[in-house]
Amino acid sequence: MSSIAPQPVTRHPEPIIKVVDLKKSFSEREVLKGVSFEVFAGETLGIIGPSGCGKSTILRLLCGLLQPDGGQIIKTSDNIGLVFQSSALLNSLTVRQNLALPLRLQHLSRKEQERRIQEGLKLVGLAEYIDSYPSQLSGGQQKRTSFARAIVGNPKIILYDEPTTGLDPVMSTIIEDYMIQLEAQLHAASIVVTHQYSTWTRTADRVVMLHAGKVVWEGKPPEAEGSNNPYIRQFAHATREGPMLSNSV
Amino acid sequence: MQLPANNHRLNPISFLESWFASGVQIFGHTIILLFATTKLILTGKIDWREVSRQSYMIGVKSFAVVGITALFTGFAMSLQIARELVLFGADTSIGGVVSLALIREIGPITAGVTLAGRVGSAIAAELTTMNITEQIDALEVMRIDPVEFLVVPRYLAGLFMMPVLSIYAMSIGLIAGINIAHSAANLPMATFLDSVKQTILDRDFTVHFIKAFINATIVIMFSCSIGLSTRGGAEDVGIATTRAIVWTMTMIFVFNYIVTALTYAPR
Repeated sequence: MSSIAPQPVTRHPEPIIKVVDLKKSFSEREVLKGVSFEVFAGETLGIIGPSGCGKSTILRLLCGLLQPDGGQIIKTSDNIGLVFQSSALLNSLTVRQNLALPLRLQHLSRKEQERRIQEGLKLVGLAEYIDSYPSQLSGGQQKRTSFARAIVGNPKIILYDEPTTGLDPVMSTIIEDYMIQLEAQLHAASIVVTHQYSTWTRTADRVVMLHAGKVVWEGKPPEAEGSNNPYIRQFAHATREGPMLSNSV
Repeated sequence: MQLPANNHRLNPISFLESWFASGVQIFGHTIILLFATTKLILTGKIDWREVSRQSYMIGVKSFAVVGITALFTGFAMSLQIARELVLFGADTSIGGVVSLALIREIGPITAGVTLAGRVGSAIAAELTTMNITEQIDALEVMRIDPVEFLVVPRYLAGLFMMPVLSIYAMSIGLIAGINIAHSAANLPMATFLDSVKQTILDRDFTVHFIKAFINATIVIMFSCSIGLSTRGGAEDVGIATTRAIVWTMTMIFVFNYIVTALTYAPR
C-alpha cells in the first residue's frame, strides 16, 4: 500500500494524543501551568497564542525532546513527524538523504525506500531537487522538503512548529494547502503551533489558545471572531485592547 | 570611576570557580561521550560509508597542511641539532637524534596539533551549528541517535587516519632532516639513514602509534563533546570553536608528556 495514499476516514474512539495537566518550568520561569487537550486521528488541533506562551514547548514535550515537570502525555504511537520552524534539514546531506533518515529504522528495501522518497517529493513538487543540498534551495523549498521528510515515514502524529512563519503570503497558502491535503491523505493526528491567522483558521479543526502557560479558550476557528472571550477576541482581531500585554504597552 | 556591568568577572576567585566548574563539566561530558561511542562501536553500530567520507574529510584533506607543518618543523629542528652536533664532532649522529625526536615527539605532536586546528575546530563549529539550527533535535525526533550518527564515524575516521598522518609527518620531517644534514653538515644520505637504523627501536613505533590513537581520541571526543553540548546563537559557534582548539591542544601536550613519562622515564 502506498505510504501516503488516502486513508479510510473513521473517527477513532480513543484520542491519539491525550495531554493531562501538563507542567513545565525553565529555571524559575513556569512556562506551562497545567495544560490539557486531546487530539483524534484525522484531526488537526491548532495551538495559538502570543510569543513565549509555551506553544513550541508543548511540541518539544510531545516528541520527547523535553521532559515534563508534571502531568501526563499519552500517545498511541511514537511514529512522529515534526516540521520544524527552521526546517532543520541536515546541511551535509542531499534532499534524498534527508528524506531517507526517518526510514532508517523501518528496515525497508532500497527500492521501497526510494519509492517513498520520490512520492514524498512529488507531493511537495520538488522531485527535480532530489540530489540538491539544502543550501541550494530557497527558504520555501527547504520548508517543503521538511514537510516531505516529516511525512515520508507515514507518521501517526504530525507536529507543525510555526510552519508558515517567515514565508511570503503565496508560499504560506501553498504550505497550508499541503497541510489540508495531508490531513485528508494520512488520517494522522496533527497539531499546528502558530500565530499566523490564516494558518490556524484554514488548517485547524479545533483550536486551543494559550496565555501565560494556561488554556484560555478552546473552540472551532469560525467561533473565534464572534467569541466573547477577551483573549481570543483580542488575538483574532489583532487589537491592542484586551487582557494580553495590557501592562506592557 | 564606573565599573563595567559585568564587574563580577573581574573577581579572580569567582573567575577561577567558574573556569574550574566549566572544565570539570567539559571533561566529564567528554568521558561519558567516549564511553557511549565505544559501546556503539563494540555493538557494531557503524555506518562504514560515513566512516569513509569522514576519513577523507579528516585525513586526506589534512595531508597538505600536516606536510607543510612537518617539513618546516623538520627543517628548523634539524638545523639546530646539526649545528650543535657538528660543534662536538658528532655529525654522524645527526640522523639518529633527528629521527628519535621525530618518532617519539615531533611526529605525533605535529599531526595532533594540526588536526586539532583544522579538524577539531571544524567539528565543534559544525555540531554547534547543527544544535542551534535544530538539526540534532530533528535526528532525535526521527529516533536516530546523534552519537551513533555523528560521533561514531568521526571517531573511527580519526582513529584510522591519525596514525597515518603521524607517520606521514615523521617521514616528511625525516626528509627535511636528510636535506639539512646534507646542506649544513655535508653529511651523505646513507650515513644519515644508517644512524637512523641504529637508533630507532621497535618500541619507538609502538609508543608513536599509542600517542597517535590518544591524540585522535582527544581531538574528536573533545570537539564532538563541546559541539553537542553548546547551544545559543551565532556567537556561541565562535566560542565553541575556540574552546575546542584550546582543550584539544592543551590535552594533546598533557597526554603526550604522560605517555613519554610512562614509557621513557629513567628507572
